[in-house]
Amino acid sequence: MEWYQWLAIACLAVDIAGLIIHLTRLISLGKPKDLSHQKGDIVPSLMYAFSGAMSPTRKESAFLHIPTYIAGIFYHLGTFVSIFVFFFFLAQIAINEPIAQFIAGFLAIAVLCGFGILIKRMVIKRLRTLSNPDDYISNLLVTFFQLLTAAVLLHENWQPAYYIIVSILLVYIPLGKLKHAVYFFAARYHLGYFYGWRGVWPPKKI
Amino acid sequence: MGELSKDKIKKGLEVFANQKDSKLHAHLNACVHCGLCAESCIYYNAMPDEKFVPAKKVDLVASVYRRYKTLTGKTIPGLVGARKLDEATVNEMVDLLYGACTMCGRCNTHCSIGIDISFVVRTGRKLLTNMGYAPDALQSTINSALETGNNMGISETDFIETLEWLQEDLQMEVGNNAAKIPINETGKEVLYTLNPREPKFFPLSISAMAKIFYAANESWTISTKMYDVTNYAYYTGNEVESQIIVNRLFDEMQNLGAKKCVLAECGHGSRAFRWEGPNVIGKSYPFEVLTSVELIAGYIRDGRIKLDPEKIKDLVTIHDPCNLARSGGIVEEQRYIIKNAVTNFTEMTPSGIENLCCGGGGGQLAMSEYNERRIKIARIKAEQIQKTGAKIVATPCHNCVDQLTQINSTYKLGIQIKTIAEIVADALIID
Repeated sequence: MEWYQWLAIACLAVDIAGLIIHLTRLISLGKPKDLSHQKGDIVPSLMYAFSGAMSPTRKESAFLHIPTYIAGIFYHLGTFVSIFVFFFFLAQIAINEPIAQFIAGFLAIAVLCGFGILIKRMVIKRLRTLSNPDDYISNLLVTFFQLLTAAVLLHENWQPAYYIIVSILLVYIPLGKLKHAVYFFAARYHLGYFYGWRGVWPPKKI
Repeated sequence: MGELSKDKIKKGLEVFANQKDSKLHAHLNACVHCGLCAESCIYYNAMPDEKFVPAKKVDLVASVYRRYKTLTGKTIPGLVGARKLDEATVNEMVDLLYGACTMCGRCNTHCSIGIDISFVVRTGRKLLTNMGYAPDALQSTINSALETGNNMGISETDFIETLEWLQEDLQMEVGNNAAKIPINETGKEVLYTLNPREPKFFPLSISAMAKIFYAANESWTISTKMYDVTNYAYYTGNEVESQIIVNRLFDEMQNLGAKKCVLAECGHGSRAFRWEGPNVIGKSYPFEVLTSVELIAGYIRDGRIKLDPEKIKDLVTIHDPCNLARSGGIVEEQRYIIKNAVTNFTEMTPSGIENLCCGGGGGQLAMSEYNERRIKIARIKAEQIQKTGAKIVATPCHNCVDQLTQINSTYKLGIQIKTIAEIVADALIID
């Protein structure tokens, strides 16, 4: 293996350690505690929190912002695919050319979505005022991660740049807003628990 | 901008330390600043200024958290927008967390991540309260409740007198001198609470409920010592004051030995006592707590009261109080009641747990400094009501009644605003 591959492995270890710290903190703080008399059911509410409540038919943040919502879906799928491909690279599993080209094509769409979201953040005042450097850095790191994944799938000589970006991204994840990879699930769990306890979710037809 | 004393900052930051579970930690670390929550907020919709975006309010609290409680925020604050707790931050927090949020929770359900934004706002309010920045007008409402036992400062003598003449009215109305508004009686099935606005401004809503109890042949009583269902300390996040208020009603339930505590039509009062109360005092209630809306729906379902919907022919719509519907799951009950009590009913769009806040929640009605904003955001509710064409708006919350009354007058809606009990009392068939 080349030095940049070792670097990426080291940074992966840092990333995992960082995320474990976040996860441990969440677990040590404990599950929701509520002394009021429970009215509803938790499990159906949690299931709804992670499914129906997120669907574009129910969530205003989705159905009022369809282009952003779709871009976000592609962008996140692009990230998951890139992570998957990264582990293939680490395990030195060869990806055959047609599949590599297909993935690269898909990632090109995801990259466009990522840049689109970034441009939106820069152009729209309400997003610009809400943003801090972390928002831009996080977007750029993930978008370049996807871009370079596509590049490496097509041309091996992009490997040094790819692994350097991967390394920076991995170290950065636990420090900035990309840690929402962990906290997204925790926040939705708490919201589902809260509404389930009180019998609000899943919503009943009126 | 001015620095704050270390002691003051320490007091404020205590809110991040005393966590009973991982909820606050999860919600403070989850926001990605997507800003897609903007359109779910009545403040932003009425006044499209970026400072009213719910994510901005979350960020105000989270940025302080990052500055003092995270490695990145402590070492490179500029990178993650971590903010120092100084006068500028405090002023902005007071303005947005107290003055630009009703804690209606509509943004919670629409947040792309699932952040309990109203919970974060309340945490921010608590931080400010710990530092001594709770708005004076809101605090004086709490002080009144702490000093006199009710937020309107009604003396026990005046309250008893009011109940006595209401009892005479009830006896005349139902044609039975044995009809009673029982006070301070022990061992009853129901201890009924009130919003102090009722004895002060809307005594007929007490009559309405008394008439329903009479028709249902309920075993009930009102305490003259502790009847106030409200708890404005919930809105400032002052746990000590909130605890005193919750404990008073808890103790009165024990003293009078009632089986059920029935909460008057008050959104935040119901939430503060039923859902938050046990957590504030650190113990579960050994008695049942339910809202009067659930109780009345039960009376109709069990055939304990009979209604004649022909008595109310005007088109009626329901305004769902946020604390009752979105944060309490009470949605079907008020519809079941109204559909049984009136001939013509129509829904607002959206309604139920999706309903739009009237603008009076979160203690806004008690904070006169934000009156102008409160009336501006109410335009959205006014338009929503107008679209229904309804002549009567029924709402199970006295706070909402107050705000809707102001909306009615400001936006010239020409409607009547009634509580659920008032509508039921009008439709009651007394045998």
